Amino acid sequence: MSVFAVNYLCREVLRDHAFRAAMKADPGKALAPLDLTDEERRALLAGDVGTLYRMGANGFLMNYLARFEVCGLNTAIYNQRMRAVKVDEIGQPVM
Amino acid sequence: MAQIVAGFGVPHTPIFPHLVKRDGPDCETARLFRAQKEQLAATRPDLIVMFDTDHLNTFFLNDLPVFAIGIDKSFKAPNDEPRDVPSYTVPSLPALASHIRAVAIGAGYDVGMTQNFSVDHSITVPLHFLTPDMQIPVIPFFVSGHVPPLPKAQRCHDLGKAVAGAIESWPEPLRVVIMGSGSFSLEVGGPRMASDRSDGVPDPDWAMRVIASLEEQKIDRLIAEATQHQLLKAGNVGGELLNWIAMLGAIGDRKPTYIAPQMQNGHAYGVWRWN
Repeated sequence: MSVFAVNYLCREVLRDHAFRAAMKADPGKALAPLDLTDEERRALLAGDVGTLYRMGANGFLMNYLARFEVCGLNTAIYNQRMRAVKVDEIGQPVM
Repeated sequence: MAQIVAGFGVPHTPIFPHLVKRDGPDCETARLFRAQKEQLAATRPDLIVMFDTDHLNTFFLNDLPVFAIGIDKSFKAPNDEPRDVPSYTVPSLPALASHIRAVAIGAGYDVGMTQNFSVDHSITVPLHFLTPDMQIPVIPFFVSGHVPPLPKAQRCHDLGKAVAGAIESWPEPLRVVIMGSGSFSLEVGGPRMASDRSDGVPDPDWAMRVIASLEEQKIDRLIAEATQHQLLKAGNVGGELLNWIAMLGAIGDRKPTYIAPQMQNGHAYGVWRWN
């Protein structure tokens, strides 16, 4: 279940300082061994958190990418991209 | 026998320790937590049982119980690096935690357990403000409140009652405080954040409704209205209200001593004391 891999790596950015450093230095290399689809990999490397959210990634966990400024994200950019995702009143993405 | 002597509803915003360090003891958050700290000290507690929603730090998506209790001599806190929070070792009471679990399972609540565990800001931040010397043992009781499907509010309230029964059947004369940790309306890192923050309050009307129900002691109304849809509408961590509801089940039908809202964060500080 590769969405699991996206969620898991987000938490590892918090918990594993070596992984966090690797993601800051060379995210392509850091993500290379992980079980990700091509689209997940592309979205992560582009910091395309809106697409990842629509794929089912957890917003709370993805916030670590912004907090630790990996994948070209910071809190301002993350905020802008997530707020652009259209959702229903319980936060589920809508087409 | 052990007795429950008070209930507390506590926020756990992870940036609060940093903000209080920055803004000093007269800032609003420092005053609100200090008032609760004084109330807690006045209850002379021997134990805190805290209902809490882990933020996928103690557990994760591959290992996610609906209910679970921590059973160990102590646990480390925090495991998610909230700013300006030291590393603590929090004492606990594993024999009583085991007893609570056994009684709850016997009463029909499927309570998992964790040992050799650590906890995140949602337990650590309240303790950091209310009992920073970490001398009072704490038993964490985890309620799944973020990842749907969520347990029903009535079930959580009834679980609280079962936990109270377990505590009151424990032969040691302990004074026990029950806490519920979390917010009423909050979105963290999700699409319903405010434009200038990492979080937001998607349903402030609901937060005010919760506070009114607490103040008016209309807990049946609160439970009836706290549907999964409403909790999720309140934000991606809106299910944390279930921790307060479990706490209310444990303490029984009591008039609150006070509820102090902090509406910009969608939460409140609550105290119920009678003993």
